[in-house]
Amino acid sequence: MNINPQLLKYVVSEESFPAKAFIIKEGNYGDWIYVILEGRVKIKKQTSGGMLTIDTLTKGDFIGEVALFKQSNGRRIVSAVADGPVLVGILDMKQLSKEWQAQPCKIKNLILNLFQNLEKATQKSVNVLGTFSIPSEILK
Amino acid sequence: MIKPEKKLPPVVRLQYAKDDLIIKEGDYGISIYEIISGKVGIFVDSGGMNIMIATQGPGMIIGEMVLLAGIAGRRSTSARALENCCLESLHPTMLLNAYKQMPTILRLITNQALRIQVRMNKMVSGLSLVEGQPKGIQSQKLSDQWVERRKFYRKTVSIECIFRPVNSPKGLKLKGQIRNISREGLHMVVDLSSSIKCTSIPGDEFLISAYLMPDQKVNMTTKVLWSKKGETAKTVCLGIAITHMTIEDQRKLGFFLMP
Repeated sequence: MNINPQLLKYVVSEESFPAKAFIIKEGNYGDWIYVILEGRVKIKKQTSGGMLTIDTLTKGDFIGEVALFKQSNGRRIVSAVADGPVLVGILDMKQLSKEWQAQPCKIKNLILNLFQNLEKATQKSVNVLGTFSIPSEILK
Repeated sequence: MIKPEKKLPPVVRLQYAKDDLIIKEGDYGISIYEIISGKVGIFVDSGGMNIMIATQGPGMIIGEMVLLAGIAGRRSTSARALENCCLESLHPTMLLNAYKQMPTILRLITNQALRIQVRMNKMVSGLSLVEGQPKGIQSQKLSDQWVERRKFYRKTVSIECIFRPVNSPKGLKLKGQIRNISREGLHMVVDLSSSIKCTSIPGDEFLISAYLMPDQKVNMTTKVLWSKKGETAKTVCLGIAITHMTIEDQRKLGFFLMP
């Protein structure tokens, strides 16, 4: 999959991470939004049974995008870990916020709603998993 | 001169009584609703059970998944009124247009969130298969006109297993092969030439042991529901229902079946 050229216009800087490095860490403050330019990234969340991988993202996917909607008070709600060497682009937050704010109210509400649901659903699956003893191979 | 505004259909307010189904999973639909009053439960179907994955209250929006092109209008969850509700139907064309006019990057970000949401919903329903009613998840037996048995998760596999009829001597080991398995049952192929001692008639009870994964052995008590000829004359295929498993083994199976 090629990265949408529309996206590259927002990339203001690039950063590379070695395998297993944390690009963002759950609980830390930060409001950069990244787009994956090369490599794969695992999205993980802390559970009482260990780190649970909730998704694997690739080229063209976003990391930390929740920051745009200010739903998490600047805290990261998941960790993103490089699965092999990764190159990410840092997005122009100013431009992004401006464009986001300019959206019609109805659509903004709808998207905010979506992110709220997503956070709830993620937390729910983490809670449910916390009640089990998780076979170790699932957590890898 | 004032330009005539394009007329939008009037906003429709809808009333739902407690337990009414607002959106049905699997249906085609384009409406997006805003909750004006009342509580709405979001459910996913999981092996004939409706698992509640969220509750939504006034100001929240339901049905927004239709924006995700990949779903092509198919509802990924059901929504049911938990009490008397008033909803406002939002103009889907207006919203879709606004969505399409968003800068590409915002649309891509939204799409990613929608995609992960669908995955999370699947995960929650998959996990709730593992235990009847794990903490934090409420489920509800389907009890109205919508009762129908729908797609519960069945995994196609090829797993060697050992089985013996209930009440047979402990040392007896008959070989079978599990072709597919769900939380409720499995299909097993038995080679008759090696298992002559076993006459399998519907109603027979078997104890089955199998390794779902290395180190993941499960034991189950089962009942044969039907048998039919296998692919070759010497094999027979059995439809088997699982009647008992320990909680521990149910967990292993649940994780094994996780999408």
